[in-house]
Amino acid sequence: SGGFQMVSLVSLSEVTEEGVRFRSPYDGDETLLSPEKSVEIQNALGSDIIMQLDDVVSSTVTGPRVEEAMYRSIRWLDRCIAAHQRPDKQNLFAIIQGGLDADLRTTCLEEMTKRDVPGFAIGGLSGGESKGQFWRMVALSTSRLPKDKPRYLMGVGYATDLVVCVALGCDMFDCVFPTRTARFGSALVPTGNLQLKKKQYEKDFRPIDNDCACPTCQKHSRAFLHALLHSDNTAALHHLTVHNIAYQLQLMSAVRASIVEKRFPDFVRDFMGTMYGDPTLCPTWATEALASVGITL
Amino acid sequence: MAAAVSPTSLESAPRIMRLVAECSRSRARAGELRLPHGPVATPVFMPVGTQATMKGITAEQLDALGCRICLGNTYHLGLRPGPELIQKAHGLHGFMNWPHNLLTDSGGFQMVSLVSLSEVTEEGVRFRSPYDGDETLLSPEKSVEIQNALGSDIIMQLDDVVSSTVTGPRVEEAMYRSIRWLDRCIAAHQRPDKQNLFAIIQGGLDADLRTTCLEEMTKRDVPGFAIGGLSGGESKGQFWRMVALSTSRLPKDKPRYLMGVGYATDLVVCVALGCDMFDCVFPTRTARFGSALVPTGNLQLKKKQYEKDFRPIDNDCACPTCQKHSRAFLHALLHSDNTAALHHLTVHNIAYQLQLMSAVRASIVEKRFPDFVRDFMGTMYGDPTLCPTWATEALASVGITLS
Repeated sequence: SGGFQMVSLVSLSEVTEEGVRFRSPYDGDETLLSPEKSVEIQNALGSDIIMQLDDVVSSTVTGPRVEEAMYRSIRWLDRCIAAHQRPDKQNLFAIIQGGLDADLRTTCLEEMTKRDVPGFAIGGLSGGESKGQFWRMVALSTSRLPKDKPRYLMGVGYATDLVVCVALGCDMFDCVFPTRTARFGSALVPTGNLQLKKKQYEKDFRPIDNDCACPTCQKHSRAFLHALLHSDNTAALHHLTVHNIAYQLQLMSAVRASIVEKRFPDFVRDFMGTMYGDPTLCPTWATEALASVGITL
Repeated sequence: MAAAVSPTSLESAPRIMRLVAECSRSRARAGELRLPHGPVATPVFMPVGTQATMKGITAEQLDALGCRICLGNTYHLGLRPGPELIQKAHGLHGFMNWPHNLLTDSGGFQMVSLVSLSEVTEEGVRFRSPYDGDETLLSPEKSVEIQNALGSDIIMQLDDVVSSTVTGPRVEEAMYRSIRWLDRCIAAHQRPDKQNLFAIIQGGLDADLRTTCLEEMTKRDVPGFAIGGLSGGESKGQFWRMVALSTSRLPKDKPRYLMGVGYATDLVVCVALGCDMFDCVFPTRTARFGSALVPTGNLQLKKKQYEKDFRPIDNDCACPTCQKHSRAFLHALLHSDNTAALHHLTVHNIAYQLQLMSAVRASIVEKRFPDFVRDFMGTMYGDPTLCPTWATEALASVGITLS
């Protein structure tokens, strides 16, 4: 919607019932990003899925602001729906808010699912909340979202989180993590990650991951990437970014295949075993979350 | 045979260059290098494949742009990981997974540039590694040993380089030492059948010293010559005169590699003066500042004037960036995902240099190089007569007039 970035990037922003009012750091102009304005911009962009403007609060915020934001997001959803000029060509998703409060989130779910939208995002999570609270809000959300519409969990994530949240019923994910971690020389692998700047990779002529089909793994060794990280850093980060994105995409493909082939619980056990050395060493929150939907490790 | 301006080489010297065409006016030549990893058309601009001061382009992208020779980084990929490691990786080609030709420098220049505590003696360049504090001596023998391990197709002698702004006895000392180091490199070279060792002409901006160096080094049995010690802080007037002096005394049947050049105008002029091979960080460095190279100069794409300019950087450019992206998009990208934008610009700028060299070569082969030069200068400067004085003089010295 443009709202989140504005609030993140622009220091002088203020949320009112109208919308998000902010002062541009470039020319000092005041702009109002309203639900109508956000949809108008996204209509012009022509994207296939567009997001409502929501009133986002950080998951670490407590008190009346959370409730205010939840109810306002419902009102803003209705304004977005009304303003949407191209429902035949662009799919407007609602964003469930309510923070870490089960009652508020439930209310939001009840209300928003009454609206005729093609899909739902689960928002307001993946901030600073504990993983225990995180998975419970995800599970609550998926339990109250229609089965026949996509569930987009915003801001997730790490490989383990992806696998667990698929188990909890989510379909779509986004996250800066794989590209951000590549920028620090970190390559994602089924066992975690390789910090390729480290001396231990200096003479390691294996690819990042033997089973990875990405161009980086097809052509370059860890030793080469290590040397490159210490010389032409930008080229190295490029190779790592390509690999990390490929890792995420290949993970999702593998998850999907296991669901189609009716072996998803086994896939999860294997995944956790590879990632943590032993399925029983899986983090507690993940074990609990999986148990809540019938997968034991 | 009429008295030749350039001497012919020793009969026994290897010939890696085949001349395809020569300009009947200037000293420009079109040729083909026959190298272990395939032929290379000249004149040629050699991008730097990986280097500490250059960013971003991958070997795969260079290959896709048609690059068939690039510079490999002796210091960062050779000296630091160590030649034993590179040998284990099947040479620098294997380590980088680069199937075409590689030219490596001696490692000396980067060490002197990057390492604060370095000292030149007759033995070699002694320095203290900033990474582990160890003292190392990079001697002519050591440099060749490392480059032998790297397996590059063209290797460079270790030379005693002084900045072109240095005057006095140091220039003469460095010139004579470079000759002695050339002989030591030749003696130490273990793989002359597989790797071509080039000499590097020194002598600074002193015509006598440079002439002496040329006379001496051309007596040595090497497959090619580099013109070194220029492209520092010297004036362009001094620069072109030293290039012209060098090419007038280098054999016609061996390649002339002008190190550290350069800007488009410099490339065209120095081809006219008789150079075949070039390298420079400029195209990639300028990309890092958001500058895209075009026949009329450059576009500073961060500027507001490009915000709504939906044309490609250059309509006639065949590179992936120009095939797919507009100036407006790159402008926006420069202000958001800067790294991706710089990547696109780097690809374009390298393509620009390679395409320029191809166009130069075609004009020589088709016997219309002087017209090409006039068109080039007209496009670059608005009018051929607005070409910088040094370039006009340099071209005139080889029979090309601009008006």
